[in-house]
Amino acid sequence: MAAAATSQMASTNLSMLHFKGGGKRDLRKRKVLTVSAQEVDVQEDVKVEKEEEKEKQKQQQTLKQPRPVEPQMNVKSKNMAREYGGQWLSSATRHVRIYAAYVDPETSEFDQTQMDKLTLILDPTDEFVWTDDTCNQVYSYFQELVDHYEGAELTEYTLRLIGSDIEHFIRKLLYKGEIQYNMNANVLNFSMGKPRIGFNYKDGQIQDVNL
Amino acid sequence: MQGRLSAWLVKHGLIHRSLGFDYQGIETLQIKSEDWHSIAVILYVYGYNYLRSQCAYDVAPGGLLASVYHLTRIEYGVDQPEEVCIKVFVSRRNPRIPSVFWVWKSVDFQERESYDMLGISYDNHPRLKRILMPESWIGWPLRKDYVAPNFYEIQDAH
Repeated sequence: MAAAATSQMASTNLSMLHFKGGGKRDLRKRKVLTVSAQEVDVQEDVKVEKEEEKEKQKQQQTLKQPRPVEPQMNVKSKNMAREYGGQWLSSATRHVRIYAAYVDPETSEFDQTQMDKLTLILDPTDEFVWTDDTCNQVYSYFQELVDHYEGAELTEYTLRLIGSDIEHFIRKLLYKGEIQYNMNANVLNFSMGKPRIGFNYKDGQIQDVNL
Repeated sequence: MQGRLSAWLVKHGLIHRSLGFDYQGIETLQIKSEDWHSIAVILYVYGYNYLRSQCAYDVAPGGLLASVYHLTRIEYGVDQPEEVCIKVFVSRRNPRIPSVFWVWKSVDFQERESYDMLGISYDNHPRLKRILMPESWIGWPLRKDYVAPNFYEIQDAH
């Protein structure tokens, strides 16, 4: 895929921007925050991460440092409709929503004119319990994939390849036991397999549940 | 055993190869892709005015691709119309077949589907683009050497 270098969209340095959760839910969270002011909720909001897309600084760490986009002010929804020629480029699966657009984390304004950015919305239905650490793992994997697919054509197919890889990565995290199902989720259908309580994930051996 | 149409084609010096008869006794002919457009016009003039179906398949791994046309001759007062099945084989490296859209208009979507699924490009087809898969899809899903991308689908949900 990365070899498909000559294309019209080849100049897109896919920059990125990601945050967790959808806009409406975030507003609700903020309300909760003003009332109870729990630390967990504060962290949830801080997870709205952005950085400037700069020249490549390859880090020698195992985890690639994500390079989020700088937050923008006064973002307005633009080019949403087909009559304005807007292409709705996205890959939407349950836990990963990727849009080739800038989505404002506060107001959820959706600026489709900024097609040089990819926005990742991680697990909008809150199926898993996320920590900062696991979120960052997913973000850095996202950055890694975006760098890997640099030069590829910006199509739904490419976005879907990226989104699927992230979904597989999330499943791997789940199987390793690093994230868990959120038992307070709205829809509790265990979309990545039934939870296996009592199994030891680390050494791959199945232990007796009664032990 | 030579069928009626095959004998007629031989009489007029048209190159083809008889592939025998199918289980319903319908004559099957193979025609080279470069001859196909002119022979299609001749068959239309001969009386095959109805293209019952067009389909395509991958013959063998690494082998040829085939495009199949079932033609029928519809006339008034005939309860058993003449039928024939035409097969056109092309190499998978450069699969090009002349489109018969301008002879039988009903082949429009079916050739588009064959293009979508097997990547056979029909020359002179007016709007040859993917019909089932998204337009940005890569690869030809019904070819035998197609490897499906590892897309995430929900399989385990309860």
